Amino acid sequence: MSQLGRIADAVDAYNAHVTAEVARARTDTRFAAELRERWAQIHESIDWTVSPTGTPLPRLALPQTDDPGVIASYLLGQGLPGEFPYANAAYREMYLDRDSGAGEEPMRLFAGLGLAEDTNKRFHYLSSHQKSLRLSTAFDGPTLYGLDSDHPGVLGKVGEGGVAIDTVEDMARLFAGFDLTRKDASVSMTMNAPAPVILAMFIAAAKRRFGPGCLAQLRGTIQADMLKEVQAQNEVIFPIEASLRFLCDMIEWCVPNLPRWYPVSISGYHIAEAGATPVQQAAFTLANGFTYVELLKQRGADVNQFGPRLSFFLDCGLDVEYLVLGRVARRLWAIGMRDVFGASSKAQLLKLHTQTSGRSLIAAEFQNNLTRTAVELMLAYLNYTNSCHSNSADEPFTTPTEKYATLASHGQSIILEESGVFKHMMNMFGGAPGLLVLEQQVEKAILDVFREMDTLGGVLAAQEQRYQRSKIQEAGHAYEEQVYGGARPIIGLNRYKTDEPMPHVPLARTPPRRQRLQVERLRAFKRRHAKQAPAALQRLENVVRGGGNVFAELVSTVEVCSLGQITACLTGIVGKFRPMV
Amino acid sequence: MSARSHAPAPVRILTAVPLCDGHDSAVTTINLELASHGIEVIYLGYHQPVSAIVRAAVQEDVNVVGLSSYNGGHIVFFREVVAQLRQRGGGDIPVFGGGGGTITPADERVMKRQGTDRIFFAGTPLAEIMATIKRDYARPGRPNARFTGDRALARAITLAESNPSPLKPPASHLKRASRAFVLGVAGPGGAGKSTLIDELVSRFLRRCPGGRIAILANDPSHPDSGGAILGDRVSAIYAQDDRVFFRSLATRGSLTGLSAAAPAAIGILREAGEFDLVLVESVGVGQESDPFRTFGRGPPLVDATLFVLPPHYGGRIQLQKIALLAGADFVALNKCDHPMAHTARAEIQARLDQDGKGRRLYPTTAARHFDPGVDALFDALAQRGGLAPSTGGDKACWMEVTA
Repeated sequence: MSQLGRIADAVDAYNAHVTAEVARARTDTRFAAELRERWAQIHESIDWTVSPTGTPLPRLALPQTDDPGVIASYLLGQGLPGEFPYANAAYREMYLDRDSGAGEEPMRLFAGLGLAEDTNKRFHYLSSHQKSLRLSTAFDGPTLYGLDSDHPGVLGKVGEGGVAIDTVEDMARLFAGFDLTRKDASVSMTMNAPAPVILAMFIAAAKRRFGPGCLAQLRGTIQADMLKEVQAQNEVIFPIEASLRFLCDMIEWCVPNLPRWYPVSISGYHIAEAGATPVQQAAFTLANGFTYVELLKQRGADVNQFGPRLSFFLDCGLDVEYLVLGRVARRLWAIGMRDVFGASSKAQLLKLHTQTSGRSLIAAEFQNNLTRTAVELMLAYLNYTNSCHSNSADEPFTTPTEKYATLASHGQSIILEESGVFKHMMNMFGGAPGLLVLEQQVEKAILDVFREMDTLGGVLAAQEQRYQRSKIQEAGHAYEEQVYGGARPIIGLNRYKTDEPMPHVPLARTPPRRQRLQVERLRAFKRRHAKQAPAALQRLENVVRGGGNVFAELVSTVEVCSLGQITACLTGIVGKFRPMV
Repeated sequence: MSARSHAPAPVRILTAVPLCDGHDSAVTTINLELASHGIEVIYLGYHQPVSAIVRAAVQEDVNVVGLSSYNGGHIVFFREVVAQLRQRGGGDIPVFGGGGGTITPADERVMKRQGTDRIFFAGTPLAEIMATIKRDYARPGRPNARFTGDRALARAITLAESNPSPLKPPASHLKRASRAFVLGVAGPGGAGKSTLIDELVSRFLRRCPGGRIAILANDPSHPDSGGAILGDRVSAIYAQDDRVFFRSLATRGSLTGLSAAAPAAIGILREAGEFDLVLVESVGVGQESDPFRTFGRGPPLVDATLFVLPPHYGGRIQLQKIALLAGADFVALNKCDHPMAHTARAEIQARLDQDGKGRRLYPTTAARHFDPGVDALFDALAQRGGLAPSTGGDKACWMEVTA
């Protein structure tokens, strides 16, 4: 059933094909002439620009060669930016300065604190620093676990570490004052187990505000990656089969109805943060992605319809493998999708969001975190990530305060806009010897993991045997031992300590009276809809039991029911997730 | 290392991650480290409410509770844990915390005033954490006449663990013994015993609205360190109920498949008179194992035995070699959604038929919610244990077997 072995074989076959073509380029004069001509055409198509200090530069850098073997190796093995197998970049231009100023910067800053209007205020503040409207939402613990703010024992957690969302009305407050139908607007929501409920609330709130016709315009991403939740992040509510069904229902509904929306963000970030090595992160994430493809295909969905709506999210830390992780991931995804699943070009493209590593940041001498994040940003851009979040230096001890959130966002602008590294020329480093060595080594290691999981029966079977969890925990333990033993230098922690006392940093916390306000609002909502809620939940239950598309029904259910009411209804029908150690 | 038998009883610690928090990478690292230092870790899991933490601390009679909190709300949460421990007879159990950098020194001052013992801040060397725990939290459990309810039961079991030699009299002589039906559950590692037991617990709670159930979960101690990670509570989602008494027992060098204290602990639970059903889970057993003395080597420890097999037991010949398959009152084939299950069913049933005792095989898929196979198994156990069909509102649902 698992396709991972076939995918690994397909990558090997593709690599063998490249090698054979390189050899043919060196022996077959006609083929060599074709390649040289194509190379000349590519060169001709490249625009030129001038640096601010007067140096003329091509907008795309290519290897300096007319050796047909090198040309073949480059074009087939790596691909031009925007061409199969996409090692260099998903698109041709990426971060280049545009004369029109119409481009979208990759910056996407994660924010969420307190009540909906508090986060709304932060969104307005952050977006005032951005050209396009890119909002990324962090939710508080109760929301992530599908609980209402009045659930016993959660009060202290309401609005902590993210925004509290209980109802469609909270959702409306969260995005008040933003025109979400703008072409350059994009909303991202870090939400998993209750993702179908939360996205349904988002849709319902948007319809209230912009009318039912707005669905075609809404653009954004909801994480909704349940496999990595089971493997690493632990925000799971329903049993795995039910979780996957709710997810697939949502994806299938979104493909025709929300054509600009990415209904899943297949995420390695939490796998890495939980301890995985960079290779494990990429291997588990890609394997999870291929598993979703298999599941959707089994349900009869068309890979060319849903394929372009899948997106990815990787962590970027300081280990050397991060120089190439995004590049290798794009290449493997493209080959697997094309050669194993028969996907057309749009469905072969891995669109990548990157976040700098939270685990790499520490509380001791925390201003060093600014440098750590800056280096990680460079690595992320070297991989030509499509969007990027940079962590705030104060994250080890608080939800980012305004000051450090601003510094984090300005860090991205300094690298992309102020410095000349990325804005004049594409492909500044692609094909560099170090990158090529790393790409080969990392790719090989990822394929080894694919084959190992294949022998276990694929991702789902391996997961049941807690393969991924064991590997992640083992790697996490090794990392901690390296830190404690000093083998992994952490400046200010196990090396060059200055014994600087912890500075006083104001903490962003939600005051108890705000938490109580959230509870009061929720209770008022429940009172107002006390008559309609039971019938709405009954209709939802009928759809779940009857095998219909649950997401289609949720869009109505959220009009009169809270998140917690819906979660309780669903667990009553499908049961609860039994955690693994 | 060889002096272990004379060493004091291991420190028992409960670790968990608070409600709405799934960050478990720090706690799993700490768990491994604690176990390698000879400590018995009862791990409860992530996303744990205060009530579950307190219930577990009381029932496990731990020396200390350690909570790893990452995503905020710790001041309220720790305060609530300390308060509920006091209310529920565990006020003497100290609580410490750790939590990346989200717990600040200023928070710690507030938390200490509210009863939290200490916070280990990010960057505290593991060796220092271990030394502190062994130094400050190693008080041996002594009899305490003021303990009542679950804590009193738990302490009695702790005392039996630290001094298991005087055997309790066989339970059948106890006056109220007939109320508790004691079922021994054994099977090879990986058969899904813990999950099956948890599903049986869910049936019990539904069918017996006034009843109480106890579980003794035996798990191996590490042969070198003497420590253990007792993780059965993580997946025991239905055990989070005051009607369930759940106790984890490390084997501490006993090679019988049970802790040496298990016979005494069973006696204590029978004597308590409040349990309708007691499930005793052995460690993963081999072909020769006989943890419940099914074959007459000493008085039987339990009233009946359930043997749980997975579909991948290795073929027909292997079935002839498993002692417990001959002796068990009930045999379940778990993981019936496995491709091998069809063949396994036929082979095991044939093996049971050889004995001519009319035993039937119970096919179950405990990992699937609401599995009808588990329902059938529960019905059979209930019948054997004397469970009256629930009429609703009936307080005790297990009736005396004999008139």
